Amino acid sequence: MRLTFDRGTLLFADVPPELDLTQIPGVLWDERIGAPRAPARLCYPLVSELRRRGVPVADMPRPTLAPPSEFRPFELRPYQEAALAAWRQAGRRGVVVLPTGSGKTRLALGAIAATRTAALCLAPTRALCDQWAAALAAVWDGPVGRFGDGERVVGPVTIATFAGAYRHMAALGDKFGLLVVDEAHHFGAGGRGETLEMSIAPLRLGLTATPPAPGEAADRLGTLIGPVVFERTVGDLAGRYLAPLERVTWHLGLDPDERREHDALWAVYREARRAFEANHLGASWEDFLHDAARTDEGRRGLSAWRRARRILAYPRRKREALALLLGHHRAQRTLIFVADNQTAYAVAREHLVMPLTCDIGRAERLAALERFRAGELRALVSAQVLNEGIDVPDAEVGIVVAGRMGEREHVQRVGRLLRPGAGKRALAYELVVEGSSECRQAERRGARLALRTRPSA
Amino acid sequence: MLSERDLPLRLIEERAFIDYLGPQDEPWLRVLLSEMARFEGRRRRELAERLAEPLPCEAPHFKRRAAARTLFGLWRRDPGERPPASEPARPTPAALREQIFAEAAAGERPAGAVIDTAAARLGLARETLLELLFADLPGERPVRAPDPPPTPAEAMLRTNLAIAQAVLMRASRVELRVEGGVRPIVRLAKLRGLLCTIADAAEGRRPILEISGPFSLFQHTLLYGRALAELLPHLAWCARFELRAACALRGRLGTVSFETGDPIFPAAPPIPFDSRLEERFARDLGRLAPDWDLVREPEPLRTGETLIFPDFLLRNRLQPQRRVLIEIVGFWTPQYLTAKLEKLRQVSTVCLLCIDEERACALGDLPPHLPVLRFRRRIDAAAVLREAERLTTGETSHAA
Repeated sequence: MRLTFDRGTLLFADVPPELDLTQIPGVLWDERIGAPRAPARLCYPLVSELRRRGVPVADMPRPTLAPPSEFRPFELRPYQEAALAAWRQAGRRGVVVLPTGSGKTRLALGAIAATRTAALCLAPTRALCDQWAAALAAVWDGPVGRFGDGERVVGPVTIATFAGAYRHMAALGDKFGLLVVDEAHHFGAGGRGETLEMSIAPLRLGLTATPPAPGEAADRLGTLIGPVVFERTVGDLAGRYLAPLERVTWHLGLDPDERREHDALWAVYREARRAFEANHLGASWEDFLHDAARTDEGRRGLSAWRRARRILAYPRRKREALALLLGHHRAQRTLIFVADNQTAYAVAREHLVMPLTCDIGRAERLAALERFRAGELRALVSAQVLNEGIDVPDAEVGIVVAGRMGEREHVQRVGRLLRPGAGKRALAYELVVEGSSECRQAERRGARLALRTRPSA
Repeated sequence: MLSERDLPLRLIEERAFIDYLGPQDEPWLRVLLSEMARFEGRRRRELAERLAEPLPCEAPHFKRRAAARTLFGLWRRDPGERPPASEPARPTPAALREQIFAEAAAGERPAGAVIDTAAARLGLARETLLELLFADLPGERPVRAPDPPPTPAEAMLRTNLAIAQAVLMRASRVELRVEGGVRPIVRLAKLRGLLCTIADAAEGRRPILEISGPFSLFQHTLLYGRALAELLPHLAWCARFELRAACALRGRLGTVSFETGDPIFPAAPPIPFDSRLEERFARDLGRLAPDWDLVREPEPLRTGETLIFPDFLLRNRLQPQRRVLIEIVGFWTPQYLTAKLEKLRQVSTVCLLCIDEERACALGDLPPHLPVLRFRRRIDAAAVLREAERLTTGETSHAA
């Protein structure tokens, strides 16, 4: 029997007449071409299964790219070595959970160097891909491929954005033996899982600081990449490998006019929400969004919710608190996290702090990070760009003015501060408007953060 | 592309119905266009904020949102005004940011003082400097209307196309009944890595062309949605089409249909004929035989495991069962023609091959009684017509 790779799937030829392949889980009969077909992910397990049944497999897809060689020697920290050993022991499939700043990329480089097979590294954003390229260049002189955002260069180690890989995996799926998935938790959420289904790569390494809770998302991640094989929290690494963290929450009020406007808007939203919930028991926020867009009352409620959130994003007291904190921590490198780009520009204008937003070009963003690293800039303000993965060294102070994405975002943001430094103690401020939805969100974020910062059992 | 939330559609049981914009929507579209015209030269962000608000007239919510988003995509970002040549050159916003943020970080002076110093140095007002600081960002750039600006009717068609494509983006496979101009559709689909197969149709109905991706077999995937949606504006150039697709909408699958006459903005017209020879033949035949319709690139036919795409279908308008498929053959050998006719014999419609005498690649006689018409340089439309009459009335003599 022969297996061939066809645009992210496997086709079977010369099937012995007595063998019904569709009895094997994952294989389906494709009426369109009159042959059995399976997702490429199952390539190696299927071949094993066929051999177990005594069916000779004459040909099968194998990674077509030559493996990378001659990595310069580099050291791994003990917990990185331990993670690598755990991954190896799990059959070189699985997810490693380490806090932000603990060197997940380096660990992955260790895996690439050790496995000696062509590797495809996936990252959610272009900025993170740039970071991967820089990390690779530090230990390897070979040609690095790039896929996504108009680039289409394949190399023994190729870096691709999630979106780029999703669009091109039909062509890339038979080229690599190892998949490294940075910020792997994204694939647990159900989006674009086909990217990982369409690759024959038998070796898979997922990296994340915020794994999904046990349930459907964790199961999906387990199927696509593998189970969690190693986990360390901030608490495990704080002190020697990560800076210790101190959290300060400032509860602030709204000025009377802001309070009046906010409460009036919130009442309109609450009314719409109550009306919806009365008819949709147990419905989710997404259900509400869908439903609200269809009625005048719902639309009014949504609009009021957005305006109320805009007030909370940067009211006068937050402005004052931010000014105070920036003055107080003038000598320290500070990251400011806001809810949206408009607030980022407002902060930038008021305090002359460089904004890092998706609107700012890639070269300027990299230059700004470099100047921040060199101490020429003391603060950066960002809505989402700094949320995930971006390597920001030695920021000592973080000020979370407002957020939009919930607890996972908060853990990632605080993680930006944890890179170790001599005598460094990271300080994370959170500005919360009293008597608003932010209080409950802050509680939830605190609980999630505590979970991730406490030493594991 | 429009997001799922912007789509004016109704889901009734298993079916989804698109609420297309029509002539009744032109009055508010006119208002929308004139509102957008007011923002000519202003910031893109300001236009976006305005479009998020209601119009000064009644307009259906979802349709208005879809139209606003579609038209917003057509309004270009302007590189921005250049200062008069007499004024000293201003630094670019990026250079200004580099300079000012570094100055603010270097000293102990408050932000206001840094701004004032920089404004004085550059000879700008404080407010101008603050404006200039982010003037190059996408939302801060001035917008320009397309030239010429779309009419309400064009805006309507473009919005409908955007809606239809956004729906089709959520499909994993489509079923297509199509007549005329099908070859470019199949070509485009194959170019995008899709699979095209013919499914059997009920008696008397056109066969169904199914277009899907290899991975569609395993799950409802949006992987091929973009490629499938790309086909839609090209279908407008087919003589007739009917497309059905199951789309993942609002958390469930709903079947949506598109057909000839849907008010959708078409793609650029395809090249009408592959060659001057075909073009001349179609023109000659059209003049000669008003009772016959010549359909270019009719639906593909399945012969065994392969699809064939005849060049033309000649069909009698008064007796549609009288149909002849016409293939214009380039280079040929007697063996090639015999094999081709053997294949064509598997389909129920009679076929006629027009062969170029000058392009025979091998010597040898053709077997007798083949439905073959020879030509030199120009296909004789009258001869084709005679042959079609004969083939569809049961006569059996050899043509050439």
